[in-house]
Amino acid sequence: MGRPQLYNEEGGRRMNGAEVLVPSVVSPVVVSLYGPAIAVGLIAGFIALLGIAFKKGDLTALILTDIVGLAMLIIVAAVATDLAEALILPGLVVELAEILAISEILMSREMRKTGKNVDLIPLPLSLDMEILHTAPAFFAIILIAYGAFLTGFTGGAIAGVGILFYVLSKTIRGVPSNIWQGVAGISGIAWTLWLAGFLVFFVLPQYWLLGLFMSSCGILVKVASKAGLIGVMGREEFRREK
Amino acid sequence: MDIATLSGQIFGYIPLGDIVLYFTPFNLFLFGGALLFTLLIALSNTETQVEATFGTLQDRRVEVDKSEFKIRRFLALVCGLATAGAMITGDLFNFTLFVALIGIVNIGLVGAVKMVDVLDSAFQYGIIAMIASLPLFGGAALILATTGTLSLFGLANSVVTPMVTFGSILLIMGIAGETGIAPFYATKAEMFRTPGSPFLVIIHLSSLLVIVRAIEILLIINKPF
Repeated sequence: MGRPQLYNEEGGRRMNGAEVLVPSVVSPVVVSLYGPAIAVGLIAGFIALLGIAFKKGDLTALILTDIVGLAMLIIVAAVATDLAEALILPGLVVELAEILAISEILMSREMRKTGKNVDLIPLPLSLDMEILHTAPAFFAIILIAYGAFLTGFTGGAIAGVGILFYVLSKTIRGVPSNIWQGVAGISGIAWTLWLAGFLVFFVLPQYWLLGLFMSSCGILVKVASKAGLIGVMGREEFRREK
Repeated sequence: MDIATLSGQIFGYIPLGDIVLYFTPFNLFLFGGALLFTLLIALSNTETQVEATFGTLQDRRVEVDKSEFKIRRFLALVCGLATAGAMITGDLFNFTLFVALIGIVNIGLVGAVKMVDVLDSAFQYGIIAMIASLPLFGGAALILATTGTLSLFGLANSVVTPMVTFGSILLIMGIAGETGIAPFYATKAEMFRTPGSPFLVIIHLSSLLVIVRAIEILLIINKPF
């Protein structure tokens, strides 16, 4: 199962029968982990499939299917190169998009069966605490400023938490739907900025600094405004409320 | 198998780093076909189902309202463009991503309907599509790990090892589940009871074209002849 044939040639090891050159800095222990990692992925997927076969209900099946997705990520991650890292991200996004789509279908089916509507973010209690009126702006400003200082993916995630916290605490008092639409629009524009930055890398490599800044600022705003994704789905809910 | 033997004379290629787009008559024909159908969808209106009812002289009309029509058309266009992308791409992982996108969009196309039966089958199809992402991406990752490249140009010259064959088997399993061909077609046939042709036809067309292209890719990788 892909076990490396250990012989040195041009400072590297060739894998068994294949043309892949494993650099000599990679320790043999790491290389030998590939086979077990693939086996773990396949076994995890198989266990999840067994769970689905013995399922009790639709929701259980949906949750167990997520384990299959994680097993897929294990197999992709087992390759353990830069390229594999770049492949994990789209794999994860596809996985999330699928689980979102399926859970939307499950929700709309249940709503149609029972005839009741549910909130986008169902809250068991009425959380009308004073801190939700006073703190959000302060926390959001600190998080967004720190996120902008970090830039890139991490910064985007932190700034996104700030925006999401602000919006969720405002939800108690109701958010007008056009704010959501605006956030979604900014998200889309930032996404194209990110793509354009990548295009600069490929087409005009001498302007790599411009491309770097375009893509890093783009992904900052994009990840920060991921809340817009929830906004698109929640628009109808809020319109009904207000 | 050689790309030129399989799909005709190579007109040219665009090397973008490791991602090499190449153009053959086969590719261009499928790409053009997908784009043409997408254009037809963009210009067309949706159908209205009329069902005769038993016992009376009345008909039952199932219409698609304006907002739903817009969402349907958008998703159908995305599906068409993803199909066109899967036809022209020269990168194995991009191909699998396009196939996964087609799967998601297919779920979305029928997700907004108001019929419980259709939602039920869309849910089942979604579960299958999600399970199928394991062999789909796993197969591509195995091929990457064994051959060291994802470019179809590179794969055309690589050595076929048992791991590559195993990866290809996983890949075809994944594509079958994601596009809902046999043996997973039962739920997809149920999904077709939704009103809203011709947008729904893209579901069939995309799986058809993807299978043709997948066979070409598997022949390129495995070189059976």
